Amino acid sequence: MEHDKKFSVVNPSKMCQPMGAVQALLGVNDTMPIIHGSQGCSTYIRFQLTRHFREPIDVASTSMSEKTVIYGGEFNLMKALKNVSEKQSPKMIAVTSSCLTETIGEDMEGIIEKFKDANFDKNLPIIVPISTPSYVESHVEGYNRTIKALVENLAESSTPNGKINIINGILSPADVKNVKQLLNDLNCPNIMLTDTSENLDAPLSEETLGLYKDGTTIEEIQDTANSLGTISISKHADSAATFLEQKYGVKSVSGPLPLGIENTDQFVNNVCELTGIEVPESVKKDRGRLLDAMVDAHSYNYHRKVAIFGDPDFVSGMTRFTSEMGMTPTVVCTGAKSNKFTEDIGLIASQKGIDPVVLAGNDLYDMHREIKDAGADILIGNSYGASIAEEEKIPLFRVGFPIFDRMGAQRISTLGYNGGTEFVDRLTNTLLDFYYDEAGYELEKSEEIIEEELFAEGEFV
Amino acid sequence: MEPVIETFESRKSHMCVKGDGISIPVCDKASLPGTVTQRTCVYGGARIVLMPITDSIHLVHGPIGCAACTWDIRGSKSSREDLYKKGCSTDLHETDIVFGGEKKLYETIMELNKLYHPGAIFVYATCVAGIIGDDIKAVCKKAEEVTGCRVIPVQSEGYQNHNKTKGHWIGGDALLDYVIGTKEPEKTTPFDINIVGEFNVAGDLWGIKPLIEAMGINIISTLTGDSHVEEIAQAHRAKLNIVQCQKSSNYVAKKMEERYGIPFIKVNFFGLEQTVNSLRDIADFFGDTEMIERTEEIIADGLKEVEHKTDEYKKRLEGKTVALYVGGNKAWSLVRAFEELGMDVMMSGTKNGIKEDYERIKETVKDGTIIVDDANSTELARLLKKYKPNLLISGAKEKYISLKLGIPFCDFNHDRISAFAGFKGFVSFAKEVDASVSSPVFNLSSELGGGLNGT
Repeated sequence: MEHDKKFSVVNPSKMCQPMGAVQALLGVNDTMPIIHGSQGCSTYIRFQLTRHFREPIDVASTSMSEKTVIYGGEFNLMKALKNVSEKQSPKMIAVTSSCLTETIGEDMEGIIEKFKDANFDKNLPIIVPISTPSYVESHVEGYNRTIKALVENLAESSTPNGKINIINGILSPADVKNVKQLLNDLNCPNIMLTDTSENLDAPLSEETLGLYKDGTTIEEIQDTANSLGTISISKHADSAATFLEQKYGVKSVSGPLPLGIENTDQFVNNVCELTGIEVPESVKKDRGRLLDAMVDAHSYNYHRKVAIFGDPDFVSGMTRFTSEMGMTPTVVCTGAKSNKFTEDIGLIASQKGIDPVVLAGNDLYDMHREIKDAGADILIGNSYGASIAEEEKIPLFRVGFPIFDRMGAQRISTLGYNGGTEFVDRLTNTLLDFYYDEAGYELEKSEEIIEEELFAEGEFV
Repeated sequence: MEPVIETFESRKSHMCVKGDGISIPVCDKASLPGTVTQRTCVYGGARIVLMPITDSIHLVHGPIGCAACTWDIRGSKSSREDLYKKGCSTDLHETDIVFGGEKKLYETIMELNKLYHPGAIFVYATCVAGIIGDDIKAVCKKAEEVTGCRVIPVQSEGYQNHNKTKGHWIGGDALLDYVIGTKEPEKTTPFDINIVGEFNVAGDLWGIKPLIEAMGINIISTLTGDSHVEEIAQAHRAKLNIVQCQKSSNYVAKKMEERYGIPFIKVNFFGLEQTVNSLRDIADFFGDTEMIERTEEIIADGLKEVEHKTDEYKKRLEGKTVALYVGGNKAWSLVRAFEELGMDVMMSGTKNGIKEDYERIKETVKDGTIIVDDANSTELARLLKKYKPNLLISGAKEKYISLKLGIPFCDFNHDRISAFAGFKGFVSFAKEVDASVSSPVFNLSSELGGGLNGT
């Protein structure tokens, strides 16, 4: 196909590293994130997060300005560390960089050391620097680097704990809960890196304002060095697992995201292999329920064309899941450039006999073009897909980040057997709402649209 | 004197109560590093004033984040194109940082021009574009020569200032330097005006425009709600500028007065009384007897149309208190509208106010009103907890702080869903405020486990 666009990004399907870093940090207990950069970085990131999670989100800024750019940001960062330490006194401060401070060559580690030296007599929070240049890769890498920085700075070898570390990647709080629940059902003690399930889906109470009282604790992160293994269900965030394996001999397993039957089976098998646990009856029943839901819905889903976009692990997981359901992925798109992603999709395509257009490192403009060509009956992705769905007269099934035009983004479930069951029901009902009449008969909609298009192109006249 | 709330020593003077001494808080100072400031960057300020130009491409020259978090967030409506909603970026990578991004910028402009044939391409400089020293002016000039499309540089490097107002000015400068005065109108009338500082959020402009046109006035352009760049190019021929958002746009109006001798008046279409006054001010400016008479008819019709339509809401809202914490303009322009609903403005504050803004607030609010500058999220939560207003008016980032405290909230910023300007807008305004303040969900116990008896 002829490509009319080589340089510009139009309607991005990725964000920058500090966004991923902040998402990781929001799952840590009693921690204050600071972005060392212009005020806009923290403010716009907070804006996106707030409208998605519908929760207050606190991210501090070092508020860099023209003068500090010329003379360096040491004064601002020192001042920020002092203010946060004194006024909020969290257990940990996590400082991420930005494109601004990376470009002017700020030595964050040096400044932090200087701050510690100057305050050696005080009881300071743990301070972790995280290098997240916005011009390198995407938010996915920002998440990866953050988990790695946390583990590198905090993990300490002591006595074996019999636990499994899980690196989540960017998930909805509900899906973090689904993974936790599945591990609990398997009686597998675990450490979630990181656990946003309570922090980002908090009850209405003023007690939830301020530093997080839930989430992964510092002690848990320290204890990751003593676990039986690490499963990075986000393959793209497995650097911390590699580190733990190399330094502390904690076995590392990368992927898959437990999305659908086969991937969840694989996840459960991985857990069992690392721990020697036997799968309890209740989990087998949950698996059966997901299969039951898929069988119940199969005739509505069979050969429905689906286009999927979002983070790489999610898109490859969803490609497999929808294929299991009998759907036909036609276009799969992720904003991050990733060989892991293209390899995963290649494998799924050969196993499932599908041939989707694979876009990695592309934007929604590119995806829309491909959808026009390959066709889609439904689009799965975040709110930014709404205008494409509208133009193509297909439903958008909202999942991913950000979702700002519907309620309940925190509570969207897709993972594990139970989350999968919920997903299958909701996805199928979306198709039923759109393509079937009130008596349950299929509308002629899809064919009508195709005919309209052909007429418009003049093939029938 | 007791401080308004407990906070950093240096921040205490940023809050005051009208009536006590000077009644103007310390303002326009850099935010304290390490606080959760509600402010944004200069780039954000520039983008927000230019983005409503609907036939244009808004290209962000920087790493992806700057564009990824700001495209399609203005809530500004269009009656024509939706080109302005596209999120365009040069997506600078590490190699561009090392070797410079000018070539990539040039190619991106050429490509976007070919894809969309826009009215103009606005090119926004971000922090990184500034530091690596990309000469976006030169690139834009060259691209404009080659394409014939207007390619307009916006020097909005994010770090330039702690106050995004600087960004509003930079956005205004882009229009003043590259757009206004570059095209002559086909015809002029004695009653040509521009509507300045109206961004058509939720369609506000459409509540104002018909009233003004019915007066017999010709609107040359709007800066910038629902506008085309070729319309703004003719703005220099107006006989009058009316300024709705005085926070962002007094600057442009003043500059146009200097350059083209166009006088300006401040208007405010929020609330019935203010709408009536604004229409009369415009008619008085022209001094045309026929127009003055016609305006009185428009006012009479407008008031009649909404008569009693807010009675039901007022009944429930009477005596309720409201706190405003906004970007700037709404800190004074909404005060009367709330008073018309029988509500009591007990706090007013802005994130980016400068001294003249606080003078305006001080003039508008009654004695005893708390006035705050640049409250960070902790301070805002403390203010709300201590003074317990019945309603907070603010933006998306503040919304859930308020709601978690059980305090009703209305979004008056980019996420607003109904138009509030003009006569009919006031009815929507009352309805929206009522929907927040009077909802029974806020009466349910919000203590954790509140209604439960078991142990």
